[in-house]
Amino acid sequence: MAIRESLRRFRRKPAFTGCMLFIIVLILNIVVQGWSTCMSGGVTAENIFAFFKPSALTSIFMSNLPFILITIGQALLLIVGQMDISIGVQIALVNVVCIMVPQTTGCPVWCGWLVGFAAAFAISAVCGFCCSVLRLPALLVGYALTFLIQGINVLIMNVPQGTVPMAYWKPYQSSVYKLFNNPPAFLKFLDYIPVAALVLIVVLLIWHFFSRRPFGKHIYAVGTNPRNAFAVGINPVSTQMKAFLIKGFFVGVAGICLTLMSASGNPLQCEEYGIKSLSAAIIGGMGWGGWGSISCGVFGGGFLVLIQNTVYYFFTLLSKLVAGFTVSSYWHNFVSDLIIFGGLLMTIVTAKEQRKTLQQGLKAQFKRGEKNVR
Amino acid sequence: MGEVICLLEMRGIDKRFGAVVALKNASLTVKEGEIAALAGSNGSGKSTMVKVLAGLVAPNGGEIFIDGKKVEIKSGTDSVKEGFATAFQDLSLIPTMSVKDNILLGCELKTKGGFVDEKESRKVVQELLDRFHIDCDPDDYVQTLMPSTQSMLEVAKAVFRKPKFLLLDEVTASLHYDEIETLFGIMRELKAEGVSMVYVTHRMNEIFQICDTITIMRSSETITSGQVSDFTLDDIVYYMTGAKPKHHEGTGEVSAEDYTDRELVVDIQNLSIAPKVKDISMKAYRGEIVGIGGLEGQGQSEVIRAILGAVKKDGGSISYLGKPTKYKAPADGVKAGIGFVSGERNNEAMFPIRTISENIFAGNSAKGKLFKFLTSKEVKKFSQDAVDTYNIKIGKLKDPASSLSGGNQQKLVVARWIAMKPNLLLLDDPTKGVDIHSRQEIHDIIRDCAANGMTVIISASDTEELMDISERIYVFYEGEVAAMLAGENKTPEHLVSAMMGIKSSEKEVE
Repeated sequence: MAIRESLRRFRRKPAFTGCMLFIIVLILNIVVQGWSTCMSGGVTAENIFAFFKPSALTSIFMSNLPFILITIGQALLLIVGQMDISIGVQIALVNVVCIMVPQTTGCPVWCGWLVGFAAAFAISAVCGFCCSVLRLPALLVGYALTFLIQGINVLIMNVPQGTVPMAYWKPYQSSVYKLFNNPPAFLKFLDYIPVAALVLIVVLLIWHFFSRRPFGKHIYAVGTNPRNAFAVGINPVSTQMKAFLIKGFFVGVAGICLTLMSASGNPLQCEEYGIKSLSAAIIGGMGWGGWGSISCGVFGGGFLVLIQNTVYYFFTLLSKLVAGFTVSSYWHNFVSDLIIFGGLLMTIVTAKEQRKTLQQGLKAQFKRGEKNVR
Repeated sequence: MGEVICLLEMRGIDKRFGAVVALKNASLTVKEGEIAALAGSNGSGKSTMVKVLAGLVAPNGGEIFIDGKKVEIKSGTDSVKEGFATAFQDLSLIPTMSVKDNILLGCELKTKGGFVDEKESRKVVQELLDRFHIDCDPDDYVQTLMPSTQSMLEVAKAVFRKPKFLLLDEVTASLHYDEIETLFGIMRELKAEGVSMVYVTHRMNEIFQICDTITIMRSSETITSGQVSDFTLDDIVYYMTGAKPKHHEGTGEVSAEDYTDRELVVDIQNLSIAPKVKDISMKAYRGEIVGIGGLEGQGQSEVIRAILGAVKKDGGSISYLGKPTKYKAPADGVKAGIGFVSGERNNEAMFPIRTISENIFAGNSAKGKLFKFLTSKEVKKFSQDAVDTYNIKIGKLKDPASSLSGGNQQKLVVARWIAMKPNLLLLDDPTKGVDIHSRQEIHDIIRDCAANGMTVIISASDTEELMDISERIYVFYEGEVAAMLAGENKTPEHLVSAMMGIKSSEKEVE
């Protein structure tokens, strides 16, 4: 009974559709990847569950963590009724700062990271100031900032360059098990936990800390109706600014992960992440202002990542099933983007369904209410 | 009795929104543990008074005293600090948040570590819901609750803040009888605890049931105040309208025979539109100005939009020129010769950044073929004619429409439609927020048109305006026609008492 009740409750949560989509594409990914691997390597238990191979898990987590993190940041902004499409180039900014500060000044790597964090906070504060204090349209601000930040990035680093010491990127690109020198055998299960996943968990725990405070309630009030929030004594501007700064933290972590993933710097990368993170958050179940949660960001980001992964294995599988079948990687993108587009359309359908049930419920209640009078 | 302390006193409050005066030297006093009624017809300034105390409207002049000390209320935070809690007519709940989070919003219960104490919150909110007999789960989203439950929650939210002053702005408008009883019970408890309350309502019987004192407002001014026991129902209506009510005997239907020689333009039979419109029947003849009166939100705007085809009807029939209408969109209604002017000019009628001439021509361009060739000369001539005829004060025709004053903007919208010479003109509160002079001019335009054979259906929140312009008035109350006033019956007193639904509730008061 208790399980059914909590299931019923979960179905009304905004993250429900995002979670369902995520689970569907996860199963699809496991099947397609397993099938594809079996076709080339023979049917073994290991190949059927190729998705769960420690190296595969580590690789998918470490290369997509930056994107998932900024989708979470975007989700937070959507809750307070804002957004930031320059969020993609912001992690590129953190990336170039992290590389160039140690390279030019000779200070230790962690020093560069600190400056990178500072840059992420600063640029988020600028964006927040424009959006919530000056009340400029968020779309416009994000667009303008994209060019501005790219300009700054190129000023700091003119061409892709730089390295990160192996002692830093190696742990990030491995599983928790491999962190140990001579690990005992019973810790073998840790091989299935990538370090990047650990980072994600830590970041979510930090968010958890904020969300359990009154701030976690105020963001919804401000995002839905700033006037009503103001009427009960909440300051909408300061709440939105705080949200922007927390987003700055997510951007900082994402930028450092990006640096560790590529182990080099590139001033003009990740621009498309701005729009992509927005669509991922919407697929995850976010609405414009006051509807949705951080888990929507996690599921939406995960959905996008898995779709791309699945489509890649799907085409590999096709080339093995159909002799002589080869397509360029543009087709991969086209198909995965088509599916994402379908996912976005889906959210409209589900929203409509929700509205319909809501309306029916209201009507039923009205009739009952009238009966009570007599 | 000894000395009676005035806990709250508002003196000489002024508030202007542009040229529109919302409050003029208004005053209000409330003593400790007193329920003060604030009465007045639509637009008399009651809600603005409440908003001043809630910190949502900054007055242009006047003073507020609490316990004899002068205070400044500049924001919602100030208002909360001074001990006010407000239940708003248009609700201040956040629909996408849960019941629990809404009630505790801004005063969350915290653990020692500064986290929200969910367990304690749920317990406290459940107690509050039980006290108010609200049947819902603390974790339900507010948007899934029915309107009357939301209204109760709005009050519960205000009461939870343990205020010194509770401001209730027409909270009973959507409540059912049993819920009102619960509410009154709680109000009596609070009163015993010494909480002062300001109670704004349109329902006269409620004033006699629950309130100690009454303050009556008319056209932005405080007219009188005193103990409720010193007033009769007739007195209250007198102060609200400025005329003594006579007997209600003649408030019935005027026989349709007077109109048999005229052409029937609109014939509405048993129209229903969920949830507001329940059963409306009305007729409008050629060359007639028909008024629709009533308190705000009794279904007036829904009916008007249903005639145009902007709102789907659930039941009943609407005939236009003898044929039942089947409009899918307002464009169909416009093609059939119906014009529509809304008081919400920013939302529904104006294109503020486009030029004045484009704004005037907008309706006309919707009528022709989509790719019909259109010269700028044609547009210019058409709009210049309209500007001249209707005396709209503009700079240049090329200026953006937002450069006009509110009154002239509204004249522009009215002119747009009249220039198209519709058969039937629908006006939904067309002079909302328009200064008195422009209002007069708009009325003159409308009268002219009616004299030339146009049928006009006008809904207005202002009773004087309705009296002034309409030949017959249908008064709506809770989605039904409460009265049809014409000829001798068309008096302000009849209108106001029909609007308040007094006819039915009189007996309860006695």
